[in-house]
Amino acid sequence: MNIYLPIAEMSVNIPLIMLLGLFTGILAGLFGIGGGFIATPLLMFIGIPPAIAVSTSANQIISSSVSGVLAHLKKGNVDIKMGGFLVLGGFIGSTIGVSIFTILQQKGKLDIVISILYILVLGSISIIMLIDNFKSICEKKYNLTFGKKSNLRFKKFLVKIEKLPLKIYFPKSQISASIIILLILSSGIGIMVILMGVGGGFIMIPAMIYILRMPPHLVIGTSLFQIIFIAVNATFLQAATNNTIDIVLSILMISSSAVGAQIGARIGYKVDADKLRSGLALIIFLVCLKIFFTLLISPEKLFIIENLH
Amino acid sequence: MKEKINKNYKIFLTTLLAIFFIKIHSNCFASSVVSGISNNKIDIDSNFKGTEILLFGAKGDAGDIIIAVRGPKKNFLVTHKEKTIGVWHNGTRIKIEDLYSYYALFSTFNNIDETNQMLENLELGRNNLIFKSSLTDKTLNNPKNKILEEEFYNSLVENLEQNHLYLVDANKIDFLDETLFKAMLQFPKNIPQGTYAVEIYLIRDDNLLSFQSIPIYVNQIGINAEISNFCYQQPLLYALFAIIIALLFGWLANILFIKFFGK
Repeated sequence: MNIYLPIAEMSVNIPLIMLLGLFTGILAGLFGIGGGFIATPLLMFIGIPPAIAVSTSANQIISSSVSGVLAHLKKGNVDIKMGGFLVLGGFIGSTIGVSIFTILQQKGKLDIVISILYILVLGSISIIMLIDNFKSICEKKYNLTFGKKSNLRFKKFLVKIEKLPLKIYFPKSQISASIIILLILSSGIGIMVILMGVGGGFIMIPAMIYILRMPPHLVIGTSLFQIIFIAVNATFLQAATNNTIDIVLSILMISSSAVGAQIGARIGYKVDADKLRSGLALIIFLVCLKIFFTLLISPEKLFIIENLH
Repeated sequence: MKEKINKNYKIFLTTLLAIFFIKIHSNCFASSVVSGISNNKIDIDSNFKGTEILLFGAKGDAGDIIIAVRGPKKNFLVTHKEKTIGVWHNGTRIKIEDLYSYYALFSTFNNIDETNQMLENLELGRNNLIFKSSLTDKTLNNPKNKILEEEFYNSLVENLEQNHLYLVDANKIDFLDETLFKAMLQFPKNIPQGTYAVEIYLIRDDNLLSFQSIPIYVNQIGINAEISNFCYQQPLLYALFAIIIALLFGWLANILFIKFFGK
C-alpha cells in the first residue's frame, strides 16, 4: 500500500501516514494543541525532506483544528471574541518573529538558541502545571488544602495586569482583560512560534489558564480556534514561497487527522479538566526532556544532508 | 505478477534482437563498443516503486569496459554536528553544488584504480566526481579546509549510497561470451527526475578506445506530473487549494461524526 509523493519525490506507506495523522488529530481534539511537534519529526524519520515535513504538517493542522473547533463549538466551548484578539496578536508577533529569525540565522547558532529557549519555557510551564494539577487533584480527592503562599508573587503580578487600561469584557468567558496584555501575550507567543517552528498551543493554553484566567472548558476550543489562523498563514507562506507542500501527503494526513480530532474532542467531553491539564503538562514535559537529551547525547549521524532546489 | 513476466519477456526479446544485430555488425566496428538499453524512459506514476533497465552490448576489441550512469546535477547542503561545552549543535555548513544526484558504476576491472589519471579526467569513480563547494578557492588553499571539504563530500556520498542513489561497488557486468555483455541498471523508488546519461567506455592500457552515451529520461506522468506543475507554476493557487482542502476535510469530518455518532 504505497503511494508516490510528487513533491517529496519518494513513495510512502499509506496506512503508516494515515495512522500518524489520526494520532496527531486525537491530540489536537483532546488537548487543543496543533500536534506539529509530533508529526514533523516522525515525517522526517520516514525520510520526508525536513522542509516538506514542516510545511505539510502546518497544512494538516488546519484540518484537525477546524474539525476540533467545530466539535467544541457544538458544546459552546469556544470564546470566538477572545480567539479573535489572540489571532490579531499572533499575526503581529509572527511578523516580528520572522525578522528576529533572519537575524539569528545570519549569526548562526540558531538551533542552540531555540533549543535552550524551548527547554526553559516549556520546562517551567510543564512543571508549574504538573504541581498545580497534582495539588488540585489531591484537594478534591482528600479534601486537603495547600498553603497558597508560594503563589503570592504571581498573584501580585496578576493584580498589576488587572490594573492595565483599555479593558474589554468577554461575555463568553465572563472575564475582562486589557487589550494591552492580550496583544503582548499573543504576539509574544507568535514570536516564539516562528522561532521554535511548533508549540503555539503548548504556550497558549497555559497562558490562557494562568494569566488570562479563562474558564477551563473554553481553553481547548479557543486555542484550536486561533491555531487555525496561524496554520493557514503558515501553509500559505510555505506553499507560495518555498513550494514545500506535498498535497498528496497532505491529503493522507488531513483526512485522517480530521477524524482523529473528532475522536479526541469526544474523549475530552468525558475526562475532567484537571486530568486533561495533567496530560498536557506531561506531554510538554516529555517534549522538553527529549530536546534536553538531544542536546547532550551524541547524534547518530554527525552530518546532516539536505537537498537544495 | 503477470505484468512483470510480460515485461521480462519483452526485455528478453529486445535483448535477443539486439544481440543478433550487434553480432552482425560487431565485426565492422573493430576496436569499438556498441550497446543499447531495454528502455530509455522511466515514467513515475503513483505506484512507482523503482525500476530496472537492461543494458546490453558487444565489444569488438580486447579491453576493459566501464559503464557509468549519471543523474541530473543537484545542490546539497551538508551540516556538521559539533559539540561545545558538552552541548551538541549545528556547526559548519558547506554547500556542495553541481553534483550528480544519481551515479552508478559498472566495470570489468577487478579493482578500479581511481587514482588513474584517465579515470580522473573522465569522472569515473567515487572520488573523481567534480563538484563546486561553497568554500572559495582562496580558503581551499588552506590544507585544513581541503580536508574539511573532503570530509563533507564523503559524508554526502555515504548518505547517497545509503539511499541507493550512488551504486559504485560490486556492480557486475555479465559476459555471455568473449564479446557480448549485459548489465542490469537499478533505479530505486526515490530517483530524482531529469535526464540521465548512460555512458559506456572501452579502455585498454590507459587508452580510451571507444565511448558511447545513451540518454534515459526520468519524468513523472499522469496526476503526479499535473500536481508537480501546479505546485511550481501556480504556487498561489496551489496554496489556496491546499488550505481549502484542509478546511473542507475538517468540516466534513464534523458533519459525518454528527450524523453517525450524534453530538
